Amino acid sequence: MAHYVAPKQGKLSQLFDVIVLMALTFGALYIPMFLGLAGGVKTVPEGAGQTWEAMGQNAAQIAQYNALGFTDPAAVSDIINARYDYSFSVTALVVMIVIIVAYYVLMLKFSETEYREVIAEKFDK
Amino acid sequence: MSIWNYAEYAAWGLSAVFALYMVIDWLKTDSTYSEEVLTSSREGELEAMTEAQGGHHG
Amino acid sequence: MADFDITSKERDGMGPHGTSVGLLRVLGPAHVWALGVGIVLVGEYMGWNFAVGKGGAYAALVACWFAGILYTCVAMIDSEVTSTVAAAGGQYTQAKHIVGPLMAFNVGLYLVFAYTMLEAANAITAGYLISEVARLSGFEGTLDQRPFIILSIMFLAWLNYRGVLATLTFNLVITAIAFTAIIILFLSTTGIVGTSLMQHADLMSGSAALPYGWIGVLAAMHFGLWYYLGIEGTTQAAEEVRSPARALPFGTLAGIMTLLIAATLTWYVCTGLIPWEYLGDGLNGSVAPLFTAALLTNSQPLVWLLGVGTLFATLASANGCINDASRAWFSLGRDKYLPGWFGAVHPTFRTPYRSIVFLVPIALAFALKAPLDQVVTFSILSGLLNYTFMPLNMIMFRKKWPMGSIIRGYEHPFHPLPSIVLLSLCAITFFAVFLGYGTQLVAMIAFYIVASLWFHFWRYRFVNRASQFTMPWPRPKGY
Repeated sequence: MAHYVAPKQGKLSQLFDVIVLMALTFGALYIPMFLGLAGGVKTVPEGAGQTWEAMGQNAAQIAQYNALGFTDPAAVSDIINARYDYSFSVTALVVMIVIIVAYYVLMLKFSETEYREVIAEKFDK
Repeated sequence: MSIWNYAEYAAWGLSAVFALYMVIDWLKTDSTYSEEVLTSSREGELEAMTEAQGGHHG
Repeated sequence: MADFDITSKERDGMGPHGTSVGLLRVLGPAHVWALGVGIVLVGEYMGWNFAVGKGGAYAALVACWFAGILYTCVAMIDSEVTSTVAAAGGQYTQAKHIVGPLMAFNVGLYLVFAYTMLEAANAITAGYLISEVARLSGFEGTLDQRPFIILSIMFLAWLNYRGVLATLTFNLVITAIAFTAIIILFLSTTGIVGTSLMQHADLMSGSAALPYGWIGVLAAMHFGLWYYLGIEGTTQAAEEVRSPARALPFGTLAGIMTLLIAATLTWYVCTGLIPWEYLGDGLNGSVAPLFTAALLTNSQPLVWLLGVGTLFATLASANGCINDASRAWFSLGRDKYLPGWFGAVHPTFRTPYRSIVFLVPIALAFALKAPLDQVVTFSILSGLLNYTFMPLNMIMFRKKWPMGSIIRGYEHPFHPLPSIVLLSLCAITFFAVFLGYGTQLVAMIAFYIVASLWFHFWRYRFVNRASQFTMPWPRPKGY
């Protein structure tokens, strides 16, 4: 097998590659945030109680909140009442599973091709 | 001004000192040594041998 | 060369020939422990409590132990592979030798992402902590957290720049203090010394037991990883420890044991003192749960101790992250997976100085601009993709080089059971992430797919083929 000789990469080209990778990185983090699609937000149900009793807090729990400096239940009502919504669509779940599996399959397939080339060049002398 | 306001300025100042140290030393190192020496690190010992046999240095 | 013995005392690990300026072999097993535990222990001081928010206190405990099993598998697998593939880059170098270049490129990016994001999360916490100290000490205005966030990253980057031995010795000291602080808090609040302050029964009664039911337990797995995330980073030190075949398995396995203890104690103390809604809200409620627990003890020395512990834990973690992310980035550069410019080693300090400096502004951008739970999620996702890769890697490793064909520094028992368990737990965790952060998960994988295509069709041309394979092993079976 022919010995592959990698081209030498110029300074400018190196810089360009770094910029591409950085743009991808920041895109992955910020695009979902800017689009408002970032999940994990808790919501407070409408008409949720504002008193200790209405929020279902027992004496021990109230005592700990008092010790933390919250003597007014309204000050922590948003923290106590907020809940996650775990409902999800099966379609979305299936799409996610397909994406993850496809990703790993793609990865292993391309890697395998490249790996055979590496092994051939290394051990076939 | 409270001690915490001074602490804020001190933190800005120290950050700048550490940053400057790294940047100055980095530029000095890059201009003192050749790129070949700086990037001469190789992973295992065999790679160095393979490259020697291949007759080129990456 | 097939009988090359990595466990040999004379060879003292792998000595790269032809290297005029390389990384320095100066670390011992204690440093490996400090690197692994140092990165992770902050997870006990902040972040894990999101799991309480996700499913309640019991859910967080179940998640803590299941994640503990997951990481025990990770530590076992890692110990075997890395005690055999002893080079900086850790899982990246493993993937390069065992699975293939594209996988390796992806794993390299997982590592840099996971650690840089974790570093950003640590800096955010350090900034918060200092503002909290200012508030408690009677400061009237609002403290600007930014200079403190920047200072913590700059200082640690500087320390890393100056040399690995000082960096990890510093980590050893502050990690030991932070771990001791957890033990002291546990001893002094649970009735072993003095009276017990624990109120588990009252705080976790009625709907507070499992507020979301069983789906909450699944959802909690997402942040359950946070108790241990980063222990796999011990492998990054492979090129800098004096005896990798011995020090890496020892440091890593001692590390996971330390963390299992710390995680369980932390859960016990915090859920016994703090109502779950407040504990579980890591943004507006209890940002640093152990510190909050100390505040509730009304003991000034404990407040100070845990305040210092929290600060030390965040610094130790950020410190280890800078170390690990820069080693991974450096290895990618050295192999030309990334521009070769990054593969430089400082001639005096013997550190990958360009990678260290380059990653500073990136960490700062995340620390100053993104909310904590998003940063934590990105770190967890990259970690999770890495853990999913590990069992595949392990199975291929044993298949391509069966036992006895090469000398391994450590051989883990019960293969392939740990790999199968790890893969199943990863699947559960993917589902947990999907429940809250499905969009980020898809965005993240989209990023890796685009980056992979870029690598396969463009970047890989700069990589020499055979020279990537640096281990003195025989030809893999079946190739």
